[in-house]
Amino acid sequence: MVEVLSQTSDQSAEFETQDLLLNVGPQHPSTHGVFRMVMTVDGEVVRDVIPYIGYLHRGAEKLCETMDFRQGIGFMDRTEYLAAFNAELSYVMAVEALADLEVPERAQWIRMILCELNRLSSHFMFLGAFGVDTGVFGTPFIYAWREREALIDLFEEVSGDRMMYAYFRPGGVAWDVPVNFVDRVREVLISATQGINDFDSLLSENEIFLARTQGVGSISATRAIALGMSGPSLRASGVDMDIRRDEPYLKYDQIDWDVITGEHGDVFDRYYCRVLEMRESIKIVKQCLEHLAPGPILPEKLPRMLRTPPGEVYLRTEAPRGEYGVYMVSKGGNRPYRCKVRSSCLSNLQALQELTIGEYVADAIVILGSIDIVLSEVDR
Amino acid sequence: MTTEPAEEQFTNQIGDHDDIWSIVDNALLGIGVTRETGFMDVIVSVENDEIVQASRALRDDEDSKFDYLRSLTAVDNTADGMEVVYHLYSTTKKHNVTVKVFLSNESLRLPTVTDVWPAANWLEREVAEMFGIKFLGHPDPRNLLMPEEIDDTFPLRKDHPLAEIEVLQGEGMGYSGEEL
Repeated sequence: MVEVLSQTSDQSAEFETQDLLLNVGPQHPSTHGVFRMVMTVDGEVVRDVIPYIGYLHRGAEKLCETMDFRQGIGFMDRTEYLAAFNAELSYVMAVEALADLEVPERAQWIRMILCELNRLSSHFMFLGAFGVDTGVFGTPFIYAWREREALIDLFEEVSGDRMMYAYFRPGGVAWDVPVNFVDRVREVLISATQGINDFDSLLSENEIFLARTQGVGSISATRAIALGMSGPSLRASGVDMDIRRDEPYLKYDQIDWDVITGEHGDVFDRYYCRVLEMRESIKIVKQCLEHLAPGPILPEKLPRMLRTPPGEVYLRTEAPRGEYGVYMVSKGGNRPYRCKVRSSCLSNLQALQELTIGEYVADAIVILGSIDIVLSEVDR
Repeated sequence: MTTEPAEEQFTNQIGDHDDIWSIVDNALLGIGVTRETGFMDVIVSVENDEIVQASRALRDDEDSKFDYLRSLTAVDNTADGMEVVYHLYSTTKKHNVTVKVFLSNESLRLPTVTDVWPAANWLEREVAEMFGIKFLGHPDPRNLLMPEEIDDTFPLRKDHPLAEIEVLQGEGMGYSGEEL
């Protein structure tokens, strides 16, 4: 037996091995959009990854410079289409900071409820897609979409659109929510809670799922910070950073909730951070509903054509995928002079190379899924 | 409006600017800076050739610890040159600073900060292809978003037309100071 083994190892030492270039994408279901990566593969092990992005680049930043402040909201929806409320929020808050606008209480609570619900719907999308990435096609995907559908129906009732809401305005929201809004939110929260419980029991303790995700694609806290990761992908590495708590905007400082952090920074922690974060979102929305009182939703003296004094602001908020920032420069007038979108996905995607090298090819897809990218936000 | 303006609220939320000023001044001792106060964060401008030194100082100083590069971008000020803007954050001390480098149109080049914050890698690539600013010593100076073969036109510059129709009609739809 010993002889045979040594023989084969001698033989294999004589074979010349050659690395294989494996192209994934740009049109491939597991890349979550138009994303291409070229992997150098040694057997089953990934030796190098070169990501190629830009297939969805539409120049949203340039377009914003040519439109007035209100028209730019639509472009923000289209950068981060899975969490459009959160994307709009950064933009309108940047305009408000420049134009010195006061947002009425009610509008702030409405914004907060919708942003947290949007986080839920976005994370449900992640859970479903992530199930497919790990090889559980079907059940979790459909479960996630059922819950997401209920949330999207609610958004449609509020804003009139299922994905591109354009509901937030500089100064408040476009119009008041429907009269049965509070009841509908409570209804949706019940079904969403049930949905999260279902997921927890379906995936989180599944042996195969754990084998695929635990200890795969780990990144240390220091490296994650250095690479500019943010959101649940950063917190999974144990970094206690959440803009909602550290630099509270809207009314987050009046709400009792916890920041979820992971421990190992592996794929499972990134998944589980999101699951726990969804429970926190439900907690936040429930408290917001108690604060929601009748009142105005826009400031009284809102000019028809909004102009801002010269100035600049970098406004960041905690979107589902991480820090969504808008750097807006105004030189006076009714248009931004420069409007840069800081994409959380772009910075998270930058870590892909480090996460993937040394892992198996099959795990590369799981790792990509676990940082939850929206290519439209990456490319802008 | 009866209550305090939005600008005031933001500064209150983020903390007293005086604290951050003293921290930043200490970290940047010996480096020429210009101070400015923005709507939310304080802004320091440093010289082109001192940016790496300043970045290192801001990252490594015990009190400042700006270990997180939030965003890196540029602004085209047409005749006044361009500015490269770094938004920094400290994950431990929870404070912010904005660093700016002004570049004249004759020399659109500055050293890379990828050694200080690896996060700058893709962000600098984007700025390079969109504004035509050269980052000296960048480890991977390929195009990020645009096709590889495009290297002579810079879409986010103000003199770049927005769409083909502008070129055909011979008029710019781009930003101009006047009203729509």
